[in-house]
Amino acid sequence: METKQETPQRAYKNLLARYKAFSNRIPLLGWLCGGIGAVLIEYFLGDLVSYYLGLPKVPVLFGCLIMLKKPILIPGAVGYLLLVYGLPVFFIARALATPANKLAAFLAKGPITIAALVHLGLLYAILHIWTDMSDYRVLVLKLTMIAVMLTLSLNVINGYMGEFSCSHPGFMAIGAYTTSTITLWLFANDKLFGEALLPAAIGPFFFPLALIAGGLVAALGALVIAIPSFRTRGDYLAIISLAFLFIVKSIIENLEFVGGPRGMSSQPNYSNLPMVFIVMVLCIWIINNFVRSTLGKALCAVRDNELAAESMTVNTRKTKMVTFMFGAFWAGVAGGLFAHVLRYVNPGSFGIQRLAEILAMLYFGGLNSVTGSIVGAVSINLLSEALRPLEIFKWIIIPLLLILVMLYRPTGLIAFTEFKPKELMRSKE
Amino acid sequence: MDLFLQNIVNALQWGSFYALIALGYSMVYSILMLFNFAHGDIFMVGAYIGFGIATALLGFAAMIGLPLPGWLILILTILFSMFFTSFVGMLIERIGYRPLREAPRASAAITGLMIGIILETGNLALLGARRLSFPALIESATYQFGGIFVTNKKILIVLVSLSLMYVLHLFIQKSKWGMAMRAMSFDFQAVPLMGVSINKIAPLTFAIGSALAAAAGILYGLAYPVLDPYMGVLLGWKAFVAAILGGRGSILGAALAGFLLGFIEIFVAWIFPSTLRDIIAYSIILLILTFRPHGFFGQAHSTQLRL
Amino acid sequence: MALLRIDKMTHYFGGLRAVSDYNLVLEPGHIVGLIGPNGAGKTTIFNLITGIHTPTEGNVELEGHNLIGHHPHEIAGKGLGRTFQNLLLWRHMDVLEHVKMACYSQLEYGLLGAFFGTGRCHREEKRITAKAMHLLETFNVAEYSDQLVSSLPYGAQRRVEMARAMAINPKVLLLDEPTAGMTPDELNRMISIIRQVHKDFEVAILLIEHRLKFVMELCEKIQTLVFGEVIAEGTPEEIQSNPEVIEAYLGKEDVT
Repeated sequence: METKQETPQRAYKNLLARYKAFSNRIPLLGWLCGGIGAVLIEYFLGDLVSYYLGLPKVPVLFGCLIMLKKPILIPGAVGYLLLVYGLPVFFIARALATPANKLAAFLAKGPITIAALVHLGLLYAILHIWTDMSDYRVLVLKLTMIAVMLTLSLNVINGYMGEFSCSHPGFMAIGAYTTSTITLWLFANDKLFGEALLPAAIGPFFFPLALIAGGLVAALGALVIAIPSFRTRGDYLAIISLAFLFIVKSIIENLEFVGGPRGMSSQPNYSNLPMVFIVMVLCIWIINNFVRSTLGKALCAVRDNELAAESMTVNTRKTKMVTFMFGAFWAGVAGGLFAHVLRYVNPGSFGIQRLAEILAMLYFGGLNSVTGSIVGAVSINLLSEALRPLEIFKWIIIPLLLILVMLYRPTGLIAFTEFKPKELMRSKE
Repeated sequence: MDLFLQNIVNALQWGSFYALIALGYSMVYSILMLFNFAHGDIFMVGAYIGFGIATALLGFAAMIGLPLPGWLILILTILFSMFFTSFVGMLIERIGYRPLREAPRASAAITGLMIGIILETGNLALLGARRLSFPALIESATYQFGGIFVTNKKILIVLVSLSLMYVLHLFIQKSKWGMAMRAMSFDFQAVPLMGVSINKIAPLTFAIGSALAAAAGILYGLAYPVLDPYMGVLLGWKAFVAAILGGRGSILGAALAGFLLGFIEIFVAWIFPSTLRDIIAYSIILLILTFRPHGFFGQAHSTQLRL
Repeated sequence: MALLRIDKMTHYFGGLRAVSDYNLVLEPGHIVGLIGPNGAGKTTIFNLITGIHTPTEGNVELEGHNLIGHHPHEIAGKGLGRTFQNLLLWRHMDVLEHVKMACYSQLEYGLLGAFFGTGRCHREEKRITAKAMHLLETFNVAEYSDQLVSSLPYGAQRRVEMARAMAINPKVLLLDEPTAGMTPDELNRMISIIRQVHKDFEVAILLIEHRLKFVMELCEKIQTLVFGEVIAEGTPEEIQSNPEVIEAYLGKEDVT
């Protein structure tokens, strides 16, 4: 009797052990090669495979949309996923494990920058080929990467420093409007600012500066919250930040020269995929450097015990100010990118709804963890796209999922971990 | 001067909504030390339940051919929906908050937010996107005092809210359960040792808060008869602000701050262009909290979100 | 010149006088003990010296520099390390991070260095890691370096807190009941650790303690505090034989 009950568990354990034995030897480099193989197969053979599996066209988002719309196509979509993604990734990664390990070991000897660039190059190649198939994928991917930035920057404030800040959409709005104002004013002929002042050709090169400007203005705005935070913590600070969000939204609604409640539109198309990718990588890299340094660990000290931090020479005021401004800076940059991805913003995009979304991504992924933020942002964002056919029911499923996570892992899925690129990229032999 | 008095009347009406909702936040806070972020949506649910009950009662009255007077239906509606909505509150406590009592407070906040979203979406899924209009249970009448005009609804709203608050006050001061709640708000740890179970007090608190929110929902429906699933979001957040402004966990503070918020909003809109209302109202709140960081009636102890 | 000099320090909480006319002259290399019943204001004196509260009246000088009105982190950075009566540790940080954190003011890289992970930042991090490891070894807690503090035994947590206080290169170390809640075994170990720290780091120590054995053994000078006032001051022998002290404090306890 007992053995019967255990059998499925044991089988599962065996399977898991086998999978581990299979995949443990493959370095990240190998998986990336597998990914490239998969997207190349899709690129060249996707149409053919989907034709033979009876799918109307190449499934655009891992088949989720198709499966939910027409359940009869589920076997076809699953088959497609296996044939195009699953099997190639596994087998190419496995086949290339040995050379990939050698390469990884070789790269590990050099400076970490080069190893990182190689990995990022491969990752970008995968994303580029994958998104080449449809504009929808490009949009989803860009928004996901922006969500990663937003979540990560909120994690600096809410997770690492432990203040419940509600003002992130406000910072995002400041960044979006500042950046849009600069680009529209300088490089576009539009109804708000008239003729372009500078030739449009230099616009894309100027865009990073506009993003930084947006981030800096958002960081200045963060002072409104940072200064009260010297005296106030917890709930009251949460309310101050919430009031700040309402105020920012309301100010923008009242500023006629940025379009008031109607918003701003026809921003130039500067947020292309490489741009968003590079900015996101920079954001992750800088935030990760910061939170791993002792200056950044000071945030955790302030969170866990402010008195002890202050008594151990930590300048808590400076730490709080830096944290709010730093988080706001990246939210502002993300907002600038966001405005140029959608090429339309209005004050309504930066309300409570957006706040709930960012908070959901943050707490799903995990506090105090760069990996957690990336995982949270990517999974909630992709999930919300994938569940799109369910229409409003997705707004029941996602909250339910989050509640479950909160019940079983109150600080999120991957909380309190350190993101160590060196570990990630190391050779597995 | 007349306009001034007129605005006082309007502010009292808005303040009633805020105060009734803020009480729910504050009561839960005083017991569990956390805010129930689904509370704004409980207000919405209360309004919808009120709509259902009012419609059913009207239909029932028409069916048996008995012309029930509007005020009777209104009273029944308020009582019934307070009763039913309190169960919604208890359910939320049981599902969303009890398992998280030991968890970080931020997690409970997120759970509350998510329950709120589920309530909104669930409503949308059940009833569709069309807006319902709350039945006009009582004839509108306008009285004139000097230069100011007061509708009977406004008087009713303010009176009903004040009397509910008075009943709550009596309950907390006089009843055995109210005493237990007060004791619990002093010391979360000690009271269970004295034989009062937190598992009874917490649902009770949620039930009372939700009942008050339901009453607020129906009164709101009387004044602004269009119901939609997101009606509780902004109102709820503002009442939350009021609850904080009053001082965490202070019942009296929450009620007063609710009215204060009503006054700030109405008078700012009167003096300045109405589009500036939010900017000025929230700047005032921001300043108050910057210089009086513990609200008006809160104790000056600094806590932080437990992680 | 006195290392730490406190002149007529008085402090009121509301209308309540918590400390009145407290004077102290701490010479380099000395160990001074502060004893007294609960609520006598001993911890308040520590909080006043370290700038957590600002004294209502009086003067605090470290090596001739005035400390009044400075932020606690500045005062700490000038060379005042302290521990807390009820262990204020950071519960999500590991032991090594605790000690490194106390090197905050000694870091020679700025925010930009931290953001971009410059070479200087890495060198500095390496330097303070080495320093922190050395301290952990001194305090015999190196084996726990990568563990969260909450998983440590109580005595080890105390020693981590002391290692942390030593990491700010203090000239004066303030120890608030370093042996609270310790077993006799741990107590003896703590005495030898404090002796060793005192010798190796040439630090002056001011300590609050309840256990008289400990104070008598370690301190060159003892002050007895009752209701915020020093009622007796002197060598351990003098204190032990002072009738006022015996009445106010020692009378209730077994001196041996």
